[in-house]
Amino acid sequence: MALPNQQTVDYPSFKLVIVGDGGTGKTTFVKRHLTGEFEKKYEPTIGVEVHPLDFFTNCGKIRFYCWDTAGQEKFGGLRDGYYIHGQCAIIMFDVTARLTYKNVPTWHRDLCRVCENIPIVLCGNKVDVKNRQVKAKQVTFHRKKNLQYYEISAKSNYNFEKPFLYLARKLAGDPNLHFVESPALAPPEVQIDLAAQQQHEAELAAAASQPLPDDDDDTFE
Amino acid sequence: MDDMEKAIVFSFDQSGAIDSMLKSRAVNFCQQIKETPSICSTCIEKLWFCKIVQVQFWCLQTLHEVVRVKYPSMSTEEKIFVRKSVFSMACYELIDDKNAVRVLESPAFIRNKLAQVLVTLIYFEYPLIWSSVFVDYLPHLSKGSIVIDIFCRVLNALDDELISLDYPRTAEEITVAARVKDAMRQQCVEQIVRAWYDIVTMYRNSDFEVCTSVLDCMRRYISWIDINLIANDAFIPLLFELILAKGLSEQFRGAAAGCVLAVVSKRMEPQSKLALLQSLHVSRVFGLVSEDGESELVSKVAELLTGYAVEALECVKRLNSENANEVSMKLLNEVLPSVFYVIQNCEVDTTFSIVQFLSGYVATMKSLSPLREEQLLHVGQILEVIRTQIRYDPMYRDNLHVLDKIGIEEEDRMAEYRKDLLVLLRSVGRVAPEVTQIFIRNSLATAVTLSADRNVEEVEAALTLLYALGEAMSDEAVRTGSRLLSELVPMLLQTKLPCHSNRLVALVYLEAVTRYMKFIQENTQYIPVVLAAFLDERGIHHRNIHVSRRASYLFMRVVKLLKAKLVPFIENILQSLQDTIARFTSMNYTSKELSASEDGSHIFEAIGLLIGMEDVPQEKQSDYLSSLLTPLCQQVQALLLNAKALNPEESSAKVANIQQIIMAINSLSKGFSERLVTSSRPAIGLMFKQTLDVLLEILLVFPKAEPLRCKVTSFIHRMVDTLGASVFPYLPKALGQLLAESEPKEMVGFLVLLNQLICKFSTLVHDILDEVFPAIASRIFNIIPRDTFPSGPGTNTEEIREVQELQRTLYTFLHVIATHDLSSVFLSPKSRGYLDPIMQLLLSTSCNHKDYLVRKACVQIFIRLIKDWCARPYGEEKVPGFQSFMIETFAMNCCLYSVLDKSFEFGDANTLILFGEIVLAQKVMYEKFGNDFLVHFVTKGFPSARCPQDLAEQYCQKLQGNDMKALKSFYQSLIEKLRVQQNGSLVFR
Repeated sequence: MALPNQQTVDYPSFKLVIVGDGGTGKTTFVKRHLTGEFEKKYEPTIGVEVHPLDFFTNCGKIRFYCWDTAGQEKFGGLRDGYYIHGQCAIIMFDVTARLTYKNVPTWHRDLCRVCENIPIVLCGNKVDVKNRQVKAKQVTFHRKKNLQYYEISAKSNYNFEKPFLYLARKLAGDPNLHFVESPALAPPEVQIDLAAQQQHEAELAAAASQPLPDDDDDTFE
Repeated sequence: MDDMEKAIVFSFDQSGAIDSMLKSRAVNFCQQIKETPSICSTCIEKLWFCKIVQVQFWCLQTLHEVVRVKYPSMSTEEKIFVRKSVFSMACYELIDDKNAVRVLESPAFIRNKLAQVLVTLIYFEYPLIWSSVFVDYLPHLSKGSIVIDIFCRVLNALDDELISLDYPRTAEEITVAARVKDAMRQQCVEQIVRAWYDIVTMYRNSDFEVCTSVLDCMRRYISWIDINLIANDAFIPLLFELILAKGLSEQFRGAAAGCVLAVVSKRMEPQSKLALLQSLHVSRVFGLVSEDGESELVSKVAELLTGYAVEALECVKRLNSENANEVSMKLLNEVLPSVFYVIQNCEVDTTFSIVQFLSGYVATMKSLSPLREEQLLHVGQILEVIRTQIRYDPMYRDNLHVLDKIGIEEEDRMAEYRKDLLVLLRSVGRVAPEVTQIFIRNSLATAVTLSADRNVEEVEAALTLLYALGEAMSDEAVRTGSRLLSELVPMLLQTKLPCHSNRLVALVYLEAVTRYMKFIQENTQYIPVVLAAFLDERGIHHRNIHVSRRASYLFMRVVKLLKAKLVPFIENILQSLQDTIARFTSMNYTSKELSASEDGSHIFEAIGLLIGMEDVPQEKQSDYLSSLLTPLCQQVQALLLNAKALNPEESSAKVANIQQIIMAINSLSKGFSERLVTSSRPAIGLMFKQTLDVLLEILLVFPKAEPLRCKVTSFIHRMVDTLGASVFPYLPKALGQLLAESEPKEMVGFLVLLNQLICKFSTLVHDILDEVFPAIASRIFNIIPRDTFPSGPGTNTEEIREVQELQRTLYTFLHVIATHDLSSVFLSPKSRGYLDPIMQLLLSTSCNHKDYLVRKACVQIFIRLIKDWCARPYGEEKVPGFQSFMIETFAMNCCLYSVLDKSFEFGDANTLILFGEIVLAQKVMYEKFGNDFLVHFVTKGFPSARCPQDLAEQYCQKLQGNDMKALKSFYQSLIEKLRVQQNGSLVFR
């Protein structure tokens, strides 16, 4: 699973494939994990960077070899050949660019062609950016395909661990598994003002829930 | 292994055993093979003989790519060869050689890849060239499960790659999909369905897996094939038999349920749908959901039942005849108990769709009023569903209270989970208000009597319901305490909760009290009770910091609403907040772990609102204010002393501390109106000016601390609002400091401040603006790119966004200057040097910017400048060269060429607004420049767009007339005609 000169380890390790349109922040995301960043290996010939990301769970240490296929969107390479033997995956899109969400089903299909029945997390990245194009409500793909969805912000480390925790639980078959220690993360480059965001959302919701003269609760029809 | 095989294996290596050099050579070698003309036969050759999966994968991948990209240029022989070979492989055939291998015996991902190649051929060749592909395939199914498996994979791939609407498709793909579906319907769907049926009946007891694959595949096709092929006396009984067959695997039974769901969900006329639903006798499977709450089968059956309920409801809604409506209602009532059972008892993923369905059901109830007994019963059950679903599990109680990692996770999960349920609650509350309010009252009454092991969660859930109910009520309804509210709200205020120390309970309690504050406005006897709830240990003095900070914010909102009625209580309130205020600005208090809106500064806003009222006597008011401002200012001054000599750590602690204080003062000042501090009580104004003096010092001591600059800027914003024009003397110094070291992001903040000043004071700020403008222009032209921003993937970076934001703010800034009679600033001697670059920027933006509203703003600026600088009658030119620039460049590029471009879409509303401005610009140019403009435009511009003479003449008439509307619509039709004439052949610019 490792690349040349990359140490193999004696604790459980899994190949994790990260896919999604270019510019959605896949590389930024994996680089937040500092130990992984130090030990990463770049394989220029096949254009893939493999980051070994360690996490400490209540059942012991585990490692994700994150295959970041940066740039593969454009330059052929092994293409779906990278997915072979993938044990879990993250599909990334950018909430500030609608097209990247539109392409999610295609990434999912191409992934599942090679890796049948692996746990997959859908991540909407860049939720720190004010001008969102894809609202949380519009994200429905994961429901159809039984994926887990998380909103993340690689730049602010927001929800960084969530996708890994979900995958670790699925792979271990233990819904109660949890991380006992946080990995060293690069300091956030932007502060996501969550409380403000929640406040804002709450106020919006309050405004939206004001009874309207007409049938505003028929949204589900 | 030969060289090619080795090369492929090396390039796919994941073990780490192959070194980079070797791998690199391997990759290049493979690439070379790919480029040979005989690549297809090379791949097929390998596929017949090589067992190595990497090689098989590479060959299939390559074949797929070649066929997909080069199909049109392949020779007929090559096409036939590829088609025959791939088809043979997919039919499990062998070529006549003892070493031959079968691709179908490889792992699933290889088989999927083979299916993908076959589907790509179908894309190009079915039905015209290769019409028999499906018909030829069917006889091979008798070879057994290995061929059946790949046949299913081919059909699945066909669905995924071409037919399914879940993927973005090009217009061409949609056409091909329609062609393929039509041909299949005509030619072979019936036979395929027959084959599915035969396989399932034949293998149902021997090979669950292959049967499951067949059913999963069939499910995808039901939506577009003739429904009678499935919904008939053969298939439906078989499917139900399978669902109910205890001896079969869960997956198999679940797949059968999936097919029935697809049948149920098929789009058809409501009358036929009703007949279909009736014929299914779905009640046969109700019992299954109570068997084992967590199994995969239960999950599938739950989906089926929910889908069935949705369709039955749809029939209720769409069928008008009494009989049909009655029948659909009966079907719905029949399935509902099972749906309730599922959501309450089974660990399944269908909760979301069930809640959606229930919302739909409740929405229909609106037209059914008054509700029948049966429906009222359902309402009660729905409320019970909501209550139990939003209730936390006591096992997380401690985690949630201290808000550790697990607690945060659980709270997030619940917040997400509750959203739809609470929307549902609000709908129920509207359809059956009485029932809902009684339900909530009883829930709360029961919850507080429960024993300690359960009460926290029950109380929290009941209060959440009460809060959510309030969110859906109109202010009017809350104020008058309609229906049960006049009982519920006092109950909320007066009930002693047994678990108020719990964080969640305390939080939702305060939220609920705040939610119903309009009621208190009319029932002021409750004010002391409300104040107590916020000021004692249930609110701001709660031991949990999250509660006390949230309480600060909510208290501020309460004050905002009730302030006129709070005057008698001010003294008391201030007294009980003394300790909180002191703590907020003390040295070791930083807001690291909690972000801005929860930082507690709202307590100052609340106080400001209270003491800033005119109802407070002047003397009291200045006492209150100075008792707050004086110590805060002294603290700042103390912190600024010797600040330069500090090490970074000490310095950052000070910065954080000063930030807190500025925020506090900022919030405090919000309660004081401009009228009060400038005219009726200038002494108060003086206190704020002194404060401003102190805070501006900060910029001198910490010139590079960005968070401080940002906070000081926002304080200046506040003071502009509060002090009005009397803030002027402070501005030159302040602006100078702020401009000194600004990054793009801060520059935006700076421009926003100037915009505020200009909008508030217009020409009064002329001198100030005149002073800073050259520095701003020079700074900005150094930051923003002269040509366009890079585009495409990867350019959506934070840095570029920041510069774009700056550019956008710059346009607003220029627009605000022009529209507030300040265009003379552009002409002053110090700024004159920037005039040309500004004009060029505005010109290119008005022609090319992708945001049409930005373009509009630029055109408006030009219109304004023409009016300001080119007065008639033609005297001496105020700005030499401007008129000819407008006539020769702006008129041509913006008014003519930019609108001739096809991307200028007249169907778009924003574009039309921009177009209106462009037409207005022509009108204004004609008014100011007369024939100088008209002659040039018509004799130089129109001919280059091949405009016929008669149209040009009409244009002159319309322009000289007085009807703007007519001019606009004429010009639009003119442009549309010119576009047709040149047919995109002329490229301007």
